Amino acid sequence: MSLANLSFFVTEAGTNMRRSAMMAFITIATIGIALVMMGAFLLTTMNLESFLEQMQAEALVTAYLKQGFAITDAKTLSLRLTSLTEIEDIEVVTPEQAARELFSSPDDQQLLQIGITQDSNPLPTTLRIRIKSGNQLESLLEKLKSEPMIDNISYGEDLFQQFHGMSQLLWLISLIIVIMLGLASLFIVYNTVRLTLFMRREEIVIMKLVGATNWFVRGPFLVEGFIQGLVGSLLAIIILFAAYRFMLAKLVELIPFFTANVGFDQLFKLSAKLLMMGIVLGISGSLLSLRDISKFSKSAPEGV
Amino acid sequence: MIELQGVTRIFPNGVRALNNINLTINPGDFVFLVGPSGAGKSTFLRMLFREDTPTEGKIFVDGKDITQMPESRVPYLRRNLGIVLQDFQLLKRRTVAENVAFGLRVIGATAAEISNRVQEALEQVGLSHKRRMFPTELSGGEQQRVCIARAIVNNPLILITDEPTGNLDPMISQEIMQLFLEINARGTTIIMATHNHNLVNKLRKRVVALVNGQIIKDEAGGTYAYE
Repeated sequence: MSLANLSFFVTEAGTNMRRSAMMAFITIATIGIALVMMGAFLLTTMNLESFLEQMQAEALVTAYLKQGFAITDAKTLSLRLTSLTEIEDIEVVTPEQAARELFSSPDDQQLLQIGITQDSNPLPTTLRIRIKSGNQLESLLEKLKSEPMIDNISYGEDLFQQFHGMSQLLWLISLIIVIMLGLASLFIVYNTVRLTLFMRREEIVIMKLVGATNWFVRGPFLVEGFIQGLVGSLLAIIILFAAYRFMLAKLVELIPFFTANVGFDQLFKLSAKLLMMGIVLGISGSLLSLRDISKFSKSAPEGV
Repeated sequence: MIELQGVTRIFPNGVRALNNINLTINPGDFVFLVGPSGAGKSTFLRMLFREDTPTEGKIFVDGKDITQMPESRVPYLRRNLGIVLQDFQLLKRRTVAENVAFGLRVIGATAAEISNRVQEALEQVGLSHKRRMFPTELSGGEQQRVCIARAIVNNPLILITDEPTGNLDPMISQEIMQLFLEINARGTTIIMATHNHNLVNKLRKRVVALVNGQIIKDEAGGTYAYE
């Protein structure tokens, strides 16, 4: 596409949007509203998910070592494991410590002194591992399982499975909502472009008569779709973040220990996604209604 | 320049608009296409710029068989043709100059090129002083001139025109016809469907008469009469 064409498309798109300002407004508003709703769902999901992850991360992973290893072996292993990206920190618990913790009440202390000596302690050496975030649990478990010294691992399996299931369900629901909203707004955009297409029928016929290619006819419409998608999504992002800040402030007031779980970088990524979605919606809505543009070329109906 | 070989067009409702047309038009020719309404004149012209395709037969324009041409090549065919129809087909919200420029814009000409060639074309049709006006501010004859300027701005090989004087009074018609003669004198082939027998009889160009989809007369320096 030449520069002359592009500048023609942009001026045409501008003129057309001014002439049918109402149509342009409807398209922008549709894209904007859909994206605000999508964004709200995504933000909620992201917050819930990061909340779940936090809770998961607080769970400890306990690795029980096989019998017959010296405490120095356990320390070496723990040093090696510390280098794993998933691990926040690691603590080696000797059998003695474990026994002392197990029988921490005064009565139990006696039992400890009587029954369990250094030689007869049945408790294994264990590693207490804190993970950095909940979603790294699975990969850590894989790595731990391949360690020959480790006998057994416990990590609150039930809780983890529940969280995992919940966050998957959350994403599934928001995916469905996003797709439905996307389709609904696509449909509206398609119809508005279709209307402007019929309003500009005469112009298209003349364009084709003087030798415009189908893509040239589509050009201004696509630029229009792009601009409308861009404006719609920018509006949506502004509205969404204003509302989000307002909501956070309210929540902090209501719940004193509340902290937002979604950081700035995630918000930035979400904005980028919404921007992309807006532009894709605008352009694909236009493309869809322009697919049969060749039918518009006939300067008079067949058989006249 | 243009060659039709056994061209037949049957519409879906069974009407035979053109029936086995064989015709050759040479470069620089000026051809009047005459005949009663419904004889197939418009269908004939529409075939030439691939607005319609024959049911049977072949049409060669500038050596290429346009009946076999893929849809995507049709715009490039039309860039070598100038088309002027009876209803003026101007964009009402654009100025005269913008309307003429339209034919250059679609082929991606630069702004400087467009400005020069639009000026030239408007001078040729004698409307360069009205370049900033809108079509609704012009008379019918002037509007038709703008269409002609738009058709010739690309320096087409062939100018196809369907009843260009159909909506104009005799005086203005004569002026418009004069314009076509000038364009023809510069080498552009012209094919004109018309009912204006005065002009046809006066100019004595090649006359092709169509009746019921068939050529019943093809006469150099001919007259309008086809009965």
